[in-house]
Amino acid sequence: MDSKNVVELIKEYASNVRTTDERSLFVTVDLKNFEKMLQKLKEAGVTHISTITGVDTGDFVEVIYHFDCRPAMLSLKIFLPRDDPKIQTISGIFPGAVLYERDLMEMLGVRVEGHPDPRRLFLPDDWPEGEYPLRKGWREKKR
Amino acid sequence: MTFVLPVGPQHPSLKEPEFFRFEVKGEEIVDVDIRLGYAHRGIEEAFSRRNYKHNVYLAERICGICNVVHSTTYCQTIEQLAGIEPPERAKYIRTIIMELERIHSHLLWLGVAAHQIGFDTLFMLAWRDREEVMDMRELISGGRVHSATNTIGGVRRNVKLEHIPEMLRRLDKLEKSTGYYADLWGSDRTILARCSKVGVLSKDDAVKFCAVGPVARASNLKLDIRRNDPYGTYEALSFDVVTESEGDVWARGTVRLREILESIRIVRQALHELPSGPLRVPVELKIPPNETLERTEAPRGELVYYARSNGTETPERIRVRTPTYGNFASMKSMFIGGTVAEIPIVMWSIDPCFGCNDRATILDARTGKVSVVNFKQLKRWRR
Repeated sequence: MDSKNVVELIKEYASNVRTTDERSLFVTVDLKNFEKMLQKLKEAGVTHISTITGVDTGDFVEVIYHFDCRPAMLSLKIFLPRDDPKIQTISGIFPGAVLYERDLMEMLGVRVEGHPDPRRLFLPDDWPEGEYPLRKGWREKKR
Repeated sequence: MTFVLPVGPQHPSLKEPEFFRFEVKGEEIVDVDIRLGYAHRGIEEAFSRRNYKHNVYLAERICGICNVVHSTTYCQTIEQLAGIEPPERAKYIRTIIMELERIHSHLLWLGVAAHQIGFDTLFMLAWRDREEVMDMRELISGGRVHSATNTIGGVRRNVKLEHIPEMLRRLDKLEKSTGYYADLWGSDRTILARCSKVGVLSKDDAVKFCAVGPVARASNLKLDIRRNDPYGTYEALSFDVVTESEGDVWARGTVRLREILESIRIVRQALHELPSGPLRVPVELKIPPNETLERTEAPRGELVYYARSNGTETPERIRVRTPTYGNFASMKSMFIGGTVAEIPIVMWSIDPCFGCNDRATILDARTGKVSVVNFKQLKRWRR
């Protein structure tokens, strides 16, 4: 699917669509439509999740799921409140996301609910609880 | 009853630290757990502390072996973010050094794989021929491994006219020797006995766990970013996407060897078609708020960079997903059902690339329980 087909497929659930070219698009989705959209993608034959990016914007924790729709790259954005970011796991629908969700949990403090293996991935076991190195201002706070 | 076999972080198959916990029943592997992070250097955070130009060098240092593909992907991402179009000649030079990198990476893989299965003659031969590529890279950039060729808006080094005959001569030599290794890989009894039907990843599992690169292609998935989502000059160059259907270690080796031959074809074409013109365009480093995603085909598979700018000379966020990270999820299904003797070669078959930490694993001989101990505890015990 190229960008146009992807937009056609998911526009009823999307709240904001920005197509950069025929092989790349950024789509924002609400928490309530998120799972429906994933199901729709799965039904359309999308199987590959390239990665999950977490960005702390200061107001929100933005979680971006990058799906490969062959050839279009769909970046699916979801905004979570910074004080209590939580989201359902997508590893039931896309098993390839398991490691990326662990990464997201430890680096940005997003609670991924229902994750089959919510241990740390990169950080050491004696890393203090509640310290998330990719949160804004984390390094300044440490000094 | 199962027995726990800790492998690593000081590793039998890699010169890099990573920890694998195998559960074995006699010789058979029944479960495996992977611990990452022994080489985590916090590079994503470091990206957002340096300006765009400095980050070229940081990106290059994520991985020594695939430094060019990292810097190329980084530069392409930033160029897209800022709306810069690099000159055609720069794109061709990038293609040439990226493909030379693929050849040297795959030959390095072949050498170490041969060493893992006790075939040290092949190890020596493969690494001897790898020198040809290293020399070619030195010719272009002055560096055998780190080329420092890329910059935002183009390249810093030129492929000179007088270099071309020398490069073509070396490519011919490489093509001949790679052809011989490919024949050997398909016919030698030792290689077939140690690699065939070992560490099998089925096509379904490769799809399910989002395998990338040669690992996916060896499981019959036609997945190559150079073809699926072409960047740089790849749309204009002709090459085949190599796939195999067996999904075992042997197939992964075959894919890599045949890819070397394709890469030689690509370099020849690029040298032949190399356009004249400037090497780089001037760039404004203050990039207005924007975001973009870019991916390339590294020697080990799909490499993804996400970047967001904020109007300053420093990026807001850079996310890097390396191909080895993408292939970890599918490793479990390669190991389970195999034997202990297969561990090194199967591990090496995904061509992993990790980066050290402060932990040790203790296995209690009486209870069989495994616990992870940190450095503080170890120091306490020493007293």
